[in-house]
Amino acid sequence: MAAEGSLRPGGGAAQLALNMKLLGHHELAGFGGVGEGINMQKAKDGRRILWMAHESAPKNFTAVDVTDPRNPKMVVQTDLPHNDVRSNSLDVVGNIMAVAYQTKKWGLKPAGMDLFDISTPEKPKLISHFDASGPCSRGAHCVFFVDGEYVHLTSGSADFEPTNPKDDQFYRIIDVRNPSKPTEVGRWWYPGTRKGDSAPPPPRHPRFDGGYRPHNTNSYPQKPDRVYIGYIDGGVWILDISNKSKPKPVGHLQYSPPYNGFSHTVLPLVERGYLIVSDECVRDNGEDWPKPTWVVDARVESNLVPIATFPLPPAEIFTKRGGRYGSHNLHENQPGPCSFRSETLIFGTYFNGGVRAFDVSNPMQPKEVGYFVPATPKLAPKGSAQINDVWVDENRLVYAVDRFGGGLYTLETTF
Amino acid sequence: MTESPAATRDALAGLIPVSIVTGFLGAGKTTLVNRLLKRPEMNRVAVIVNELGEIGVDNELIEFSSEQMMLLNNGCLCCVLRGDLQETLRDLFIKRRNGEIIDYDRVVIETTGLADPAPVMQTLLTDSMLRDQYRLDCVVTLVDAVNAPGQLTQFSEPLKQVALADRLIITKTDLIEKQPLAALTERLREINPRAPLRNVTNGEIELAFLVDVGLRRTHADLEEVERWLGADEEHEHGHRHDESVQTFTLRFEQPMSWAGFTQCMDVLTALRGPDLLRVKGLVNVEGKSGPMVVQGVQHLFHPPLELDAWPGTDHSTRLVFITRGIPRQVVADLFSAIGAVGAR
Repeated sequence: MAAEGSLRPGGGAAQLALNMKLLGHHELAGFGGVGEGINMQKAKDGRRILWMAHESAPKNFTAVDVTDPRNPKMVVQTDLPHNDVRSNSLDVVGNIMAVAYQTKKWGLKPAGMDLFDISTPEKPKLISHFDASGPCSRGAHCVFFVDGEYVHLTSGSADFEPTNPKDDQFYRIIDVRNPSKPTEVGRWWYPGTRKGDSAPPPPRHPRFDGGYRPHNTNSYPQKPDRVYIGYIDGGVWILDISNKSKPKPVGHLQYSPPYNGFSHTVLPLVERGYLIVSDECVRDNGEDWPKPTWVVDARVESNLVPIATFPLPPAEIFTKRGGRYGSHNLHENQPGPCSFRSETLIFGTYFNGGVRAFDVSNPMQPKEVGYFVPATPKLAPKGSAQINDVWVDENRLVYAVDRFGGGLYTLETTF
Repeated sequence: MTESPAATRDALAGLIPVSIVTGFLGAGKTTLVNRLLKRPEMNRVAVIVNELGEIGVDNELIEFSSEQMMLLNNGCLCCVLRGDLQETLRDLFIKRRNGEIIDYDRVVIETTGLADPAPVMQTLLTDSMLRDQYRLDCVVTLVDAVNAPGQLTQFSEPLKQVALADRLIITKTDLIEKQPLAALTERLREINPRAPLRNVTNGEIELAFLVDVGLRRTHADLEEVERWLGADEEHEHGHRHDESVQTFTLRFEQPMSWAGFTQCMDVLTALRGPDLLRVKGLVNVEGKSGPMVVQGVQHLFHPPLELDAWPGTDHSTRLVFITRGIPRQVVADLFSAIGAVGAR
């Protein structure tokens, strides 16, 4: 007799689903580890192309035709020049794609950002490279590019020497109106993180020193004078960027410690005045639990108030399923023809907790409305699925990707 | 994918459907459930039974976790009702979300022969956690062709089981002659004229008859709404209503105020709650673009839900009442007296 708690056909971690139905699965030719760059292009011939940046070398990015979500077809998969660089993040506007490059060590290349012309998805054509390498730079970790004009970049640079090696990236605004000549037009960093700052270096997180760097830097056309930054151990920042050459802080929320840092994505619900903030889980087996997704009242930007966290399944069960369990990426309400936008339905990824959807109509009581946790992928190094990022299209189809080998899952929502 | 989904969630879609299989002792509930579980479409079902023995799963059993829960070889879960159904349903849902059991996509509750299905239905309508996760899809009542005529006169439960049904199944029809079968059919029609009825032997029945009966999305189309409300009232004419159980439909052409409607229902439930066996329908509320869906069992009502739009061109309020001894006229008069509308 098996113990209670193993009522799954065949044993092992079976698929779990609520109000989400698996339509298709693609293992990306054996390179099924996807980072946190995922975006959908509507190609000129009408095909729907999902672009994904890989978590790590040897692959750079992969495009999959998801016009028929039940039968995804790989269109192109590209390689990185060497194994000490990763692409990790990308964004698409029309037929232009921005890809971030981050090296393992300071001083290596390519470090920065590429712009590609993807009008023929099979043949991405390099337009330009924005070099962000430097003696104290690993290049760029994350791009946010939605308006076709400016890339909001998390990056180091040749002229930036951090006070602590972990604080080697900052916020940079790159003008790409002429895509063949990307130019920095503004920057901002956490006071005290650059050598020569008048402010003292900020205190390190006592248990999990994740560093003071931006992670996601989100800015939306409907509110072009704001950027919303998850600043890892530096908490949440809202900057006024009406003058791009001089970003000015207007709101800050620091809740770590006592929480465990790594503020990752700040998704503004622009109409309603709330922020959805995810903290990335960066340790296996629940070591850095809890890593919540917060609802923050931002109706008064200068006084950000956390009012709720998303209800997640119990840590005592999921932290024992292998790998990481906790918040990570959100679907970010990107503009564009192939993106779902909602101020009440939020989709996020939770590593071995899969992809999950929440209803925040009542911001003080977010409610779980659906989830999909894939069965453990073949040869999963952590013994569980590790869902890393999510894209939701305008038909509310969900595209979730695994961090290691699971590849792409296409899902239908039924709520 | 012709329509783009809304940016908000559909309050009905995605809820786990619950079927209640009821019927008097020996009516063939277990046979039916066993047959249903063999269908490939029913391979992720959680079945709640009163006794393990009843479901007859000795050969089907592949894994036991406790005396209360087991996995069948088709992937379904079978769970024994211990005490409280409310607790069992909650427990199942929590175990499902934790990945401790299969992600079942339907629940089938097999009641005991002596059970009154009303409290089971009420549990689903009123428990705030359960109604957020589950929806009542269908009450299937099995009627034993051989013994039912006697049981319907001797006991009160079978009568109520028939009255509350969304679907009626007469079993063991191979064991009786045509004439008594016709008489039984007539008797069931008198008690519950709206529920579609089938004759079945050995639990052989097409699945479509039993599933997707309840409303499953707020943009339901006309066919879905009609399926849920049951046969149209025209079909009721010509039947002699059973003296104790009565089924009727009230129809109001004009929109009514929500306050007026709830006042009528409050009065009815306060005075005759126990006799208001089942109420379901669509209400045209002033100022709303879609109808309000109303359903209740005796004195308990599900919180009203608004459909996105009216299915079809008929925008009149339609309320189906299944009552014990409350005549149509009394309810119609009440609605008139309270002045919400004039009943036709």
